Parts: sequence; structure tokens; C-alpha cells
Amino acid sequence: MNFGLTNDQKMLQSEVRKFAENELAPLAPEIDISGEFPKESIKKLAELGLLGIFVPEKYGGSEFDYVSLAIAVEEISRACASTGVIVAVNNSLCAYPIMQFGTEEQKQKYLPLICSGEKIGAIGITEPNAGSDVAAMETTAVMEGDHYILNGTKRFITNAGEAGIFVIFAYTNKELKHKGISAFIVERDTPGFSLGKHEDLMGIRATANCELIYEDCKIPKENLLGEEGQGFYICMNTLDVSRIDIGAQAVGISQAALDEAVKYSKERVAFGRPICKFEMIQNMLAEMATQIHAARMLVYYAAWCKDAGIKRFSKEAAMAKYYAANISVDVTRKAVQIFGGYGYSKDYTVERLYRDAKILELYEGTSEIQKVVIASELLK
Amino acid sequence: MSDIFVLIEHRQGKIRDISFELLNCGRKLAEKTNSNLTALLLGYNTENFVEKIKSQAHRILVINSEVFKDFNSESYQIALSEILKKETPFITLIGHTACGMDLCPALATQMEFPFTTDCLDVDVVENKVKVTRQMYDGKLNAKLIIRENPSYLFTLRAGNFPSEESSLKTEIINIKSSVTEPDYRKFVEYIEAVAGDVDITKSDIVIGIGRGIKEQENLSMIEEFADNIGGVVACSRPIVDADWLPKDRQVGSSGKTIKPKLYIAIGISGAFQHITGMKGAETIIAINKDPNAPIFNEADYGIVDDLFKVVPVLKEKVMELK
Amino acid sequence: MDIIVCIKRVPQTAEAEVTIDSSGKDIEKDRLSFDINESDSYALEEAVILKEKFGGTITVISVGYQDTEDTLRIALAKGADNAIRVKAEDFEHIDGYKTSQILKSVIEKESYDLIFAGCIATDDAYSQVGVTLAELLNIPHASLVINIDTSENRADVNRELEEGLMGHLDISLPALFTIQTGINEPRYASLIAIRRAAKKEIKVIGQEEINKDNLLLNTEIEELFIPPKTKEVEILTGSPAESASKLAEIFKEKGLI
Repeated sequence: MNFGLTNDQKMLQSEVRKFAENELAPLAPEIDISGEFPKESIKKLAELGLLGIFVPEKYGGSEFDYVSLAIAVEEISRACASTGVIVAVNNSLCAYPIMQFGTEEQKQKYLPLICSGEKIGAIGITEPNAGSDVAAMETTAVMEGDHYILNGTKRFITNAGEAGIFVIFAYTNKELKHKGISAFIVERDTPGFSLGKHEDLMGIRATANCELIYEDCKIPKENLLGEEGQGFYICMNTLDVSRIDIGAQAVGISQAALDEAVKYSKERVAFGRPICKFEMIQNMLAEMATQIHAARMLVYYAAWCKDAGIKRFSKEAAMAKYYAANISVDVTRKAVQIFGGYGYSKDYTVERLYRDAKILELYEGTSEIQKVVIASELLK
Repeated sequence: MSDIFVLIEHRQGKIRDISFELLNCGRKLAEKTNSNLTALLLGYNTENFVEKIKSQAHRILVINSEVFKDFNSESYQIALSEILKKETPFITLIGHTACGMDLCPALATQMEFPFTTDCLDVDVVENKVKVTRQMYDGKLNAKLIIRENPSYLFTLRAGNFPSEESSLKTEIINIKSSVTEPDYRKFVEYIEAVAGDVDITKSDIVIGIGRGIKEQENLSMIEEFADNIGGVVACSRPIVDADWLPKDRQVGSSGKTIKPKLYIAIGISGAFQHITGMKGAETIIAINKDPNAPIFNEADYGIVDDLFKVVPVLKEKVMELK
Repeated sequence: MDIIVCIKRVPQTAEAEVTIDSSGKDIEKDRLSFDINESDSYALEEAVILKEKFGGTITVISVGYQDTEDTLRIALAKGADNAIRVKAEDFEHIDGYKTSQILKSVIEKESYDLIFAGCIATDDAYSQVGVTLAELLNIPHASLVINIDTSENRADVNRELEEGLMGHLDISLPALFTIQTGINEPRYASLIAIRRAAKKEIKVIGQEEINKDNLLLNTEIEELFIPPKTKEVEILTGSPAESASKLAEIFKEKGLI
């Protein structure tokens, strides 16, 4: 057993941390208010190779492992939760399914564009009437000659407003239920595609979260990802990986909250002494630190499973995502509590972190769905 | 001989202020060690210089040669090593300036003198030489014991021995020198800073910003505040390094020295290089999150808080009261 | 053009609380983060810029403990070709002068056209290792260098003097320059470069390769202490709004607005 990071992981951590602190953290408050997508940051992230962390070098990626992915997303999210999820989606929800299920042609065509940031990646699973119940989706893709005709609406899509490449799920055969879902690579400039409403979110506000509308959108048949009917499997397989990322994002946000809380508790004086001298504050700090440590271990372990080539790690990924999201909401809440009234003010970072954390329990499978995944593995 | 020696520093025909501080420190050391103070003056057309420092030392050793018109540490080193070999002074002081930093370590190493740089104070206690200097971004002072030797070389930080009147009887000794500028290092010219649109030395109110400003976009907030209060925006080194403000806005040893009525340091931790440039201000305000920032040692009033919260309110209040 | 860059891993104290340890002669380092010294990172970047222009190799050298290898590896990822760590643990006390002597005994066996070092280390703040090293190697030097324009065997450099003035020098190579911050914009290492650098070997040199007996220590720390206050500051307390109001009142009273 070895809990230490490898040389390259350590270096990645220190360099990404430095980059995130210097280049991303200063922008975080501003883009939280404006909701502006951090295009300049994305360019810099691409230059460093953070948009295709595990993608092989021959497709323009950095060829690191999944533990490294988790470390990078954690460090980026610690500085800016919006940028954290932009990176996570680009890597795990767009590059990953193409890398895993794409044909050689698809990989060669799309992965370099995603890794270089030339086209930002996104994924379309959720619909207005299909969230946790993925199979309730209404989007359809009907084969017509050498095209599929895509019709439907996707909602709450991270990166949507700025993305150039989407992995979209749609029914090719509704009768087969979830086995009739297929995945497609859809380019932004495909006729019949339009952007719908931009979501005014509570947190992660700079993520260009929009609705995707497909009206008789013609997708070349070679853009089918995997096989017809393989969509649900691709979706679940992809979510296993992306849940590691979301867990990492949760750890990053939580760590930022703890850092702020520790600092503030040493500076803020009440009843004649710094509030960190009070046991109730210490109690909160100790709990927060332990929660974060446990979450980080779960996240790293799930990532390690993937790196070790363990075929099924759905349970481990779900546990990591569920627990990390859960504690992140609690840790950021405690941070606000330690700050008192100031923590409720937009002047202080913890206010943003508290809002950013809530999404973690909702997207890429709600906490309830994570528990369903965990329980179903137990009851097999 | 075990005199105290100081090196007179001059540039572009003027004796630099540090020289008088060195003379003051040197006199104090000479008094303490019952020895004499010798000033070393290497220059060209030295009569003026001699006039300025006469009565400040017991002796002035003068080399008057065109080679020493402009500072070149290699030419200085050749000439000074000859003198130091002959004179074997006890302690030689050089300013901790761009010249001193370039010269002292090389000269001391050649002479095999123990040396150290950027001293706040040099003291002789029971035949042991001790110096005080700063470490860790000015947050701590260190007292160092120097390896025992007949001769020592130190560079002295500006600002701790303000120039004082003195009326010593001064012997002036002219030394002939055949030193020529070595081919391996030639002084070419001075390059003056490009003059910008704002002269920060002329304003009564100067707002200085530092690392704490975090990003360039936040400059506009400070500029608005400066406009409101009728001041100009200056900065510490990291801001110039990041190219957020031009070099002529930099306050400090490698930038400008300012003496405004009011200096407001915002997000500046207070490295001594910066302090050197602004401590002549009549009233100094520091706004910084870090209660231990050295800038608070120089300030008359301080606010320990987030500048992004303080400045907007301060701007409003100033507008109200104006 | 072969360039040697001397770097140091230092605690990041600019925005951290610094406390003295129980010996009274050192600081508590547990809670501090460590990184390459600021001006050293500019020195490294300047070497990489010259290498991109003229070719050649860059060797980074540091006297430090085991964890210094992390800093050296990042330097490899940023463009250095070789890295050498001299084991600090083999030498009991190290000051600026001793560091220069150790570096000299390593570097005199290497071939180089230029040596770069940072102009000051933020921990002990000596500004002396580079210039001392040049003297020990008997090569010309320039400190506080803010611009370099080099041809094959000479370099035009600008030194940063006081009050915005620069001094332009013409120096023959090989030479040593201590690099001032702001001379360039240091890059971040890309992930691919990190992955490649992680596999590179770092040469580790111990006392057996350096004649330890001849090394001299110039200084010994007697004590560390918190600088005495030269001025009594009045801290304005309260919320940001309260303290700002108090300050505005003071401006008014003093006739500053």
C-alpha cells in the first residue's frame, strides 16, 4: 500500500496549484457575479494540457492517469469552482466517452480539438423531463439515409453556451427502453441546432449553462458514438469517471472553505480573543478537516481503481461523489457559520463557496441516485 | 593599522546619500573601537566630492582617475584590493546598493575577508564582530556572529544611520593608480528611465498598491479612488514586474523616492526596498490583510482588513467629507 | 550556449506568518509552503529563452535537502536539461558564502558559457551567492540584471540601479549574471513536460565529491528576533465600513482632503 503521490503527480499538483492560485482565483469572484465564461483561462488551461489530462499524447492529450485528473480538478476547483467543472466536463464527459467508445477516425478528428481548447466539450443527457430517470429522455434520433435526424431538448448543460463538440444521447429505438438509447457526437454548427435559455444558476455561475435545442438536426451517421443502443451503457460508464471528478471538485471547494475558515478564525476577535480559541469553533474546524480528508481518500481511491484497471468501480465512484458532495455542502456551511454575518455577505469567499457546493449534490447523479448505485451493488 | 574604512559612493557627478550614512556609521564604530575613520574615494574630478565629505572622516584616500568616473565593480575591485592589502583595515563598510551588491561579495572573496551583506547595524562586542540584518521578507531580524579575522567587509542598508554633522580634522591623501577598465567588463552608459505621463514625486497624495491588488482589473478601483482624493497611483515592485504599471510609478530603492503629504499603502507588505522609497511621507496609511506585514511598522494609521472591502467604503466616505 | 542556473528552494514567507522555533536560530517551517526562490524562477526563464534562441543545454544546480529535488524537477519541466542536487544534509551549517564555495566545486567541473542565479533569496536575503561564486570561478559578473542581449562571446546587459536608472555593461563570456525579477515572464510547466521531467534522473552529489574541510563559514546565527517597532501605528478597528470611516475622518482632520 502506498498513499504517496508519484513524482509526476506531485509536480502536477504543485504546478496546477500555483497556476490556479495566480491565474484563476483572482477571477473567481468576478465571473461568479458576471456569469461570464472564463475564455482566457481556458486558453491557458489548454496550453498547460489540462483539457485532455488522460487523453493519449497522440490525440493531443497529456497522457496522465485518473488520480492526476482528480488532483488537477481539485486544485482548480479550490481556486474557482466554475473553472473546475468546465475542466471536468471537458475531460471526463466529452473527451472520455470519445476516447473510450469512439472509432479511430472520431478520436483523431475530435480529441485534438478538445484537448487544445479549440472546441470546448460538453455532454447532453439531462432533459426538462428527464433527470435522475435518464431513460425518460424524449430526444430521438431517426436514421434517414446516411444521417440521423435529431429532435429534442437538453437542459442544464454545462459549457453549452461555449462548447463546439457535444456528446448527445437520444433514442434510436424507444421500444427497447434504455437499450434503445444511442450516443452521438454533435458539432455546434450543425444546422437545426440552437441554444436555448441560459440558466441563471445559484452557484458555478460562469459555466455557460444553457439549453440545447435540436430541431430536425442532421447528424452524419459516422458520428454515432459506439453502437446503436449502446448509449445508456456509454452514459453510465462515463458517469463513473466523471463522478471521480465531481468528488474532486467537492474536495477542492471544501478545502478552500476550510482554508478561509482557519485564517479568519485566527484573525477575528470576539470576547477578547481570536475565535479559534473557542472550542465550538475548533470543533467545527476539526470536523471539516476530517471530512475533507475522508472525501479526498475516497476520491483518490476511486481514481486509483480506474488507474489500476479495475473493471467495475461504479460503487467506489458513487461513494466518492456522494460523500464528497455531502460533506462539501456541510463544510462550506460550517465555514459560513464561522464567519458569522460576514459569511453571508458577497464580500467574503465562503458565501460563494456555499452556493457553489450545493450543485455537487445535484448534478451528474443526485446524492439519492448515488445511494441507489451503491445499494444496488450491495444487493446484487 | 586597524581603521574603519567606508567607501564613498557617487553617481553622475553627485555623492549618493548612502555615503553620509556610511560615514556616520563608520565614525560610531571608530569611536567604539578607538580607531580612525578612513573614507575611500575613487572618482574623477574628485575635488567637489572631497569638499562635501571633508570633516566627516579622519582621512580620505583619494584616487582621482577617469576610470572611476562611473562605477564598474571590476575596476573598483582591482584598485580597492590593492589598498586593502596595504592598509588592512579592521572593518570596511560599503553601501548595500546596486554598487555595493555588485562589489562587496567579489572584493571580500578575493581578499578572503569574512563578509556579509545588507546589515542594519554592525557592532563589536568583546572583540567579536556581530551584525544585525533582516531575513524572511523583513519579518524577522537576525543577529549574526562573524567568523574571526583581522579584517571584515560589510554592506550597510540605507536608512539606519542618517547623515550627521561632524567636524573631524581630515587628512587628505592622494593615491596614484594605474588601474584601467578591464576588457572583460566595460561600462557603456547609463540608461535613464523613460518619463511617463505622471510624476509621482510631485503629488501631495500618493496611493501605493502592491501584490494584494491581485489582478490588473482591480487597478481601476484604485485609480478612481486616487482621482477622488486628488492623488496619483504608485506601486511596489511586483506590480511593475507584472507590467500592470510602468516603471516610473514604482516607489522604492530601484524606483522613485517620494515625500508626499499622504501616502496610502494598499496591499503592500512593506519590503525594505519599498519602505526606503516612501518613509519620508508625512502621514503613512497602511491597508493590509496581514497584521504582521512590515508596512505596519512604518505606518501612522493602519487598517487590518481586506482592501477590496475597505477601499470602496473609503472612497465613498472621502467623497462625503470632501 | 550552455547555461548553468543556480536555484534555491525557499519557504514562501511573503504572505505567511513567520515564527521563530525553539532553538531561537531558525524558523518554524512545518506550516510554510516551499517553492523556487522568486528571482531564481526569472533566472531559469531567462536561460530557457536563451536556449530557445541559441540552442545548447541548461543545467540547474541547487544545494538543498531531498525535497529540493521536487523544485529541480519542475525546473526540468520548464526547460532545463540536467539537474544536480548537492546534499545540504552533508554540511552542518550553510551560509551564503559556504553555498558559493560548494557551488564552485561542482560548477568548475562543468562547461558553461553563462551562469545565472537569482539576485536575492527571499529567505536569508543575502544577495551574495552569485557574485561570490563568480569571483571563486574567476569569471566576470553583473548583478541585478534586467536585460540581456548576448552574442557568442560577449553580452550586453543592463543592471538595475536606483531611482529607475540602469547601467549598461559590455561583458565577455563566460560570465555570471544575477537576475532581477521582472526581466521576463516565467512560464508554468505543461503537463507533458512534467511527465517527461518526472522520469529524468537528478544527479545527487554528496560531501565525498566536495572537499568539505576547506569550506569556510562566514556567519553564524546567534539569534532571530522580531524587528523592534520603529513607529507606533494606530490600528483603526471595526468592520471595513467603520475603519474606513475613521480613516476618512482622519484625512479630514489633517486637512488632507
